[in-house]
Amino acid sequence: MLGIEFGEEGKVLLSGRLDAAEAPAAQSFLDRVEGVVTLDCERLDYISSAGLGVLLKTQKRLLASNGKLRLAGLKPHLHDVFTYSGFDQLFEIEPAK
Amino acid sequence: MKTAGPPEEASAIIHHRPLSARDLEAILDVTKALAAPFDLMTMLGEVVAAAKQVLGAERGSVWLYDEPRGELVLEVATGIQPVRVPWQSGLVGACAHSRRIINVPDCYADARFDPRIDKASGYRTRCMLTLPLVDHKDVLVGVMQVLNKVDGVFDADDEALATALAAQCAVALQRVRMTAALIEGEKMRQALEMAREVQMSTLPSGMPTVPSYDVSATFRPADLTGGDTYDVSLIDQGLLVVLGDATGHGIAPALSVTQMQAMLRMAFRLGADLETAFMQVNNRLADTLADDRFITAFIGLLDPASHRLRFHSGGQGPILHYRAATRTFEKYKPTSFPLGAMHLTSLRPAIDARILPGDVFALVSDGVLEQENRHGEQFGEARVQQVIEANRDRSMHDVLALLLDSVHAFADGCPQEDDVTAVLLRRDPAPALRREFERSFGSIPAMVAFTAEAFSTFEIDPRLLPIVDLAVEELFTNMVKYGTESNAAVWIEVTAIDGGVELTLIDRDVEPFDITRSAEVDVHAPIAQREPGGLGLHLIRRMADSVEYEYAKESRQSRIRLRITESGLAARRGAGATGVTNARD
Repeated sequence: MLGIEFGEEGKVLLSGRLDAAEAPAAQSFLDRVEGVVTLDCERLDYISSAGLGVLLKTQKRLLASNGKLRLAGLKPHLHDVFTYSGFDQLFEIEPAK
Repeated sequence: MKTAGPPEEASAIIHHRPLSARDLEAILDVTKALAAPFDLMTMLGEVVAAAKQVLGAERGSVWLYDEPRGELVLEVATGIQPVRVPWQSGLVGACAHSRRIINVPDCYADARFDPRIDKASGYRTRCMLTLPLVDHKDVLVGVMQVLNKVDGVFDADDEALATALAAQCAVALQRVRMTAALIEGEKMRQALEMAREVQMSTLPSGMPTVPSYDVSATFRPADLTGGDTYDVSLIDQGLLVVLGDATGHGIAPALSVTQMQAMLRMAFRLGADLETAFMQVNNRLADTLADDRFITAFIGLLDPASHRLRFHSGGQGPILHYRAATRTFEKYKPTSFPLGAMHLTSLRPAIDARILPGDVFALVSDGVLEQENRHGEQFGEARVQQVIEANRDRSMHDVLALLLDSVHAFADGCPQEDDVTAVLLRRDPAPALRREFERSFGSIPAMVAFTAEAFSTFEIDPRLLPIVDLAVEELFTNMVKYGTESNAAVWIEVTAIDGGVELTLIDRDVEPFDITRSAEVDVHAPIAQREPGGLGLHLIRRMADSVEYEYAKESRQSRIRLRITESGLAARRGAGATGVTNARD
């Protein structure tokens, strides 16, 4: 299951699994964000290409209006997914704490 | 050309004239006498005695014809080397060659006569009758000579009498020779039987129980000859696996492999390691085996805990390793010469084969490979591989039985010329869990629960779980997206392999879609050119050690198999990734 909600300072808190089954819900949530948005991924356990697709679509939309997505707290195995897909070059990724 | 016959008898000499009823009677008496003896020396004595008596001669001798060597042989006495001459030399030779009686009334006037023997013996040969011994099948048995007629020279009557006598003698001699050959053959057969019994007795009486292994071996002796052996037994050094094949025919190979078997067991019992045992046994065999003999042998030690099979092979092949993971056969080469061929002072390193789950290690002897059919074709290695591959999920006992059946069927009545021996060893296949999932994104949570269950059941490294889930999801969503015409559920199988996991997804009632040929994704493209499509398969190719795709036309079934291991991931992480963090601001 995926959890997605707003946290402090306008951060978006992601938790659980961002997979093909949850991607539509994540997409409709992120379609509403604007500006520079930090995704807090500390509690995100899993992301698949469907989830990456949601982030890519959101990033393209935000970049067009001088906004962007920043990722924070990515777990190492999720970082691998970003690296292998080249998404580490499309997003600003804060190092894990 | 003449020699002294058997010891002289001072018996009365009967005088013959025309071939009378009395002569016939004498010959019949001789015939009766000739019916009794069974050994050659006695028979020769009887023949000479009969000739002297019937023909009134002082001395006599019989030369036997040794056809294979083209020689005439004079047996002097038991235990003394016989005299041999080429079959065309001298008077005996001339007689053997022409098959005609030669009557020489004055030897010293005949150029063919060799006086040297007279000189050596002090006996003076005056006249001599030399007659061919030809049996009723017209086979030349030998040549008989009688010397010095008591009261004159041999005449035409003597020649007629001698001819009648010679026929009897030839038949009698031939009978003795054939009987001797039969007895020799029977002795050989019995000796062979005994040697084979000894050979069989060294084979293990049963298969040892080896945790997580299925081992089976078979030995089917050929009727006449063969020198195969095998051993599969648990010793201090591990599981000893041996297959040997001694060269040659008759008793020798059976005895040499028995000897090797005994030496090996002794060496290992005394604590020898593989190298020492191999070298020692080789060198001892080199000392004891005849120069033209050797033994091809595979000698291996399996450590069932580490699954390493270390072995040396002295000219024994094929050594087949069926790798379950790739469904391919690896063939190892022998590491050394056949045992006993020559002394060894050093040895190449042993081959160290890692036996992974489901792998089969197979050893077969020449008797399997070289079994011929009516067309002169040989069973060959490819057929051995086919039987193993096709039946890899059955017990090794069954596979062996099927292999023997297959060899038998191939032979189609052609005789088994050599011992048939085979040893099969399989590591238990990795445990697998399989479940089916409805073709819908809604199945994803159930799949996640399934992989977690499999990981927990097989105690697979939990670090691999997110990657396995990713792979399962990407492949599954692909099948949902592109297999819209199928309603069949998707099968997912999780198998524990060495250091990781093997995933199999089976998509049924679909068109082929080879994911291994899907387009590459340019991960360095600027964001405007990036699309989510193809990313999932790209990720799988980056994370999996291997990805295989198979399509079965008949069942319209796609099967995708991939393996993911921690070591593989670590290797790719080290080689491929450009750094774990890249916070750019």
